[in-house]
Amino acid sequence: MQVYKAFFKIIKKNLIEISIYLLVFLFFAILMTTTGSDRQNIGFEETKKNIAFINNDKESEIVAGLRDYLSEKANIVEIEDDAEKLQDALFYRKVEYIVRVPAGFSDDFLSGKEFQLEKTTVPNSTAAIYMDSLINKYLNTASIYLKYSDSASQDEIIKNIKKDLEAHTQVTVNSFNTKKANGQKYMYYFNYMAYSLFSVMILGVCAVMIVYNKTDLKRRNHCAPIKTRNINLQLLFGNLSFALIAWALMVSTSFIFYPKQMFSLNGLLFLLNSLVASVTFLSISFLISNIIKSKNAMSAAANVVSLGFCFISGVFVPQEMLGETVLNIASFTPTYWYIKANIRIAETVEFSMKHLKPIFTDMLIVLAFALASVTVALVIMKQKRTSEA
Amino acid sequence: MVIKVENLVKRYGDLIALDHFNMELHEGEVLGLLGPNGSGKTTAINCILSLLKYDKGNIEIFGKPMSPDAYDIKRDIGIIMQNVAVFEELTVYENTDYFCGLYVTDKKKRRALVDEAIEFVGLKDFKKFYPKKLSGGLLRRLNIACGIAHKPKLIILDEPTVAVDPQSRNNILEGILRLNKEGASIVYTSHYMEEVEQICSRIIIMDKGKTIAAGTKDELKSMIKAVEKVTVEVYQPNEGVLTGIRSLNNVISAEFDGEMLVVKCGKGSHNLMMILEHLKANDILFGKVYSEPPTLNDVFLEITGKELRD
Ligand SMILES: Nc1ncnc2c1ncn2[C@@H]1O[C@H](COP(=O)(O)OP(=O)(O)O)[C@@H](O)[C@H]1O
Ligand SMILES: [Mg+2]
Repeated sequence: MQVYKAFFKIIKKNLIEISIYLLVFLFFAILMTTTGSDRQNIGFEETKKNIAFINNDKESEIVAGLRDYLSEKANIVEIEDDAEKLQDALFYRKVEYIVRVPAGFSDDFLSGKEFQLEKTTVPNSTAAIYMDSLINKYLNTASIYLKYSDSASQDEIIKNIKKDLEAHTQVTVNSFNTKKANGQKYMYYFNYMAYSLFSVMILGVCAVMIVYNKTDLKRRNHCAPIKTRNINLQLLFGNLSFALIAWALMVSTSFIFYPKQMFSLNGLLFLLNSLVASVTFLSISFLISNIIKSKNAMSAAANVVSLGFCFISGVFVPQEMLGETVLNIASFTPTYWYIKANIRIAETVEFSMKHLKPIFTDMLIVLAFALASVTVALVIMKQKRTSEA
Repeated sequence: MVIKVENLVKRYGDLIALDHFNMELHEGEVLGLLGPNGSGKTTAINCILSLLKYDKGNIEIFGKPMSPDAYDIKRDIGIIMQNVAVFEELTVYENTDYFCGLYVTDKKKRRALVDEAIEFVGLKDFKKFYPKKLSGGLLRRLNIACGIAHKPKLIILDEPTVAVDPQSRNNILEGILRLNKEGASIVYTSHYMEEVEQICSRIIIMDKGKTIAAGTKDELKSMIKAVEKVTVEVYQPNEGVLTGIRSLNNVISAEFDGEMLVVKCGKGSHNLMMILEHLKANDILFGKVYSEPPTLNDVFLEITGKELRD
């Protein structure tokens, strides 16, 4: 217990530096709740993007509905269905996005089969991500209608969808947007949490591990009748407790700011995702603590690593605003996958395995980073041990 | 036998830090390891404590072979390392409690032990101080408190008085003797011969990883030919004076150290008289005169041909 107790005494001595990150986070959390609605959607609506809509299928209700829906969010430019002309249109930015409905799509969709819309886009297009999400939303909504209408014939189903879409399109879309707006607000809360959590973790873990990795103290501890494994185990529990406390503190305010949303399945998923991220941040911090030696290096690492990771991963700037190259690089950071999962969680309305699977996949990828960091840290520790004797 | 070290060899790459080093510590002894910086004292201590792997040799403590996981042996050892090893983030009290707690789990017993240790080193008024706020001497005392709080049977101190003010130094040296009186066997390393002479019942003189002499201080001093050092202030030093003195009976060596004529003499009861009479007879004017018994430095000098302190 001596080591575990010392762990928290060392944390206590470093509390001021650590709590700065907590306070900054709280400040931003308050700022986010008090500022107005979703700036993002407005921004998109103000600059409607040009897109092309090519239909190789029959003129079904579902296709027509999709086109109508998209035309509200973007300018549909008429372009002849010719490979070269379409290429030119993209190249000269006449359109930024081309969606092609393949033949047989309507039937596949209505019968619940796998379907694929072909999309062509210009590189680094923010419109592409936005249009993708619009199309997914429309089709998701349609598939829900489809699933819960018991009508026998396809004709009738299509009619029902059409009727519902006609009657409720306005309502449906609005309610969807409201949900998204709320979802996005507290998604930003959890996105931003990545930065504070990561920084706090690096500072806390390194503060203690630097001390315990000092040669003189290490030797002194080895003189005592206590197994190295015992010391390491106590340090591990210290680290885990610290991570859990930091996470609990940060998510606890989310219940104050977004009580309604937090007591929902989305809220639960946000909690789970951030907990998974905490484990990974802890592991990376542990790795960092084995590389750096001084407290100055620790503060630098807290800034460079957490800020750098978070910046390119879309913590501060939405992922759809970041270029493709940046996102490609970012995919080598756990924060990228954490944010990705958050975006998916915010958009989830239906909690079927089909929709949850990509979220859990993202979480598993985040956990893989934890595993990799711990492995590398253990290898470094082993190398240090053999070179010391 | 508390510690028995046989033929210990430790290499750092090409450098032989310990070259068939032997050492024995008997119960109740204060054993001094005396040697210049780099002679291998710390390396020897680290090997004895199984902190370092060594290339050859045998180490037994309390009659049992020492190894990294000999926890029953470690329980009875108190160690004060050359480099102060305390937590910057813990107070004097918390530090002492931390290290004591690695040996003694009973909380109540520990509290009494920690208080006693802090009192022992004279840090009672500094219990709530953090190490950064302590002077060099007080910090060393904290290092000692952390090493002895659990009342070990064997205490090893590696240069505990380096960079320490005279007051703390005396406190530390007296403390070591008190611990010894209370029953602890002690290994004390230092490159200060005065300290070693002052507190150690037996002394091992080391150089380049080897034992060059061992015994009580009197035994060590009787090993060398020069038993008396006469120093005379001569107003007009010249070679002629030296030649004259060197020709005297019983004189081993004579050198000038500035105006001071330093003469080393063998056994004999009238060395000082003889030298002064020679100077008078040759009309050599002189001032102050001292006669001293040899020091451990002289022992070291005679065996190795160099000074203990460079
Ligand atoms: N980790 C090390 N790597 C290489 N050489 C070392 C190391 N530690 C000590 N030495 C060398 O071993 C010799 C003995 O050092 P040390 O045991 O510290 O002497 P002392 O404690 O008597 O001053 C010195 O020459 C020193 O430079
Ligand atoms: Mg030393």
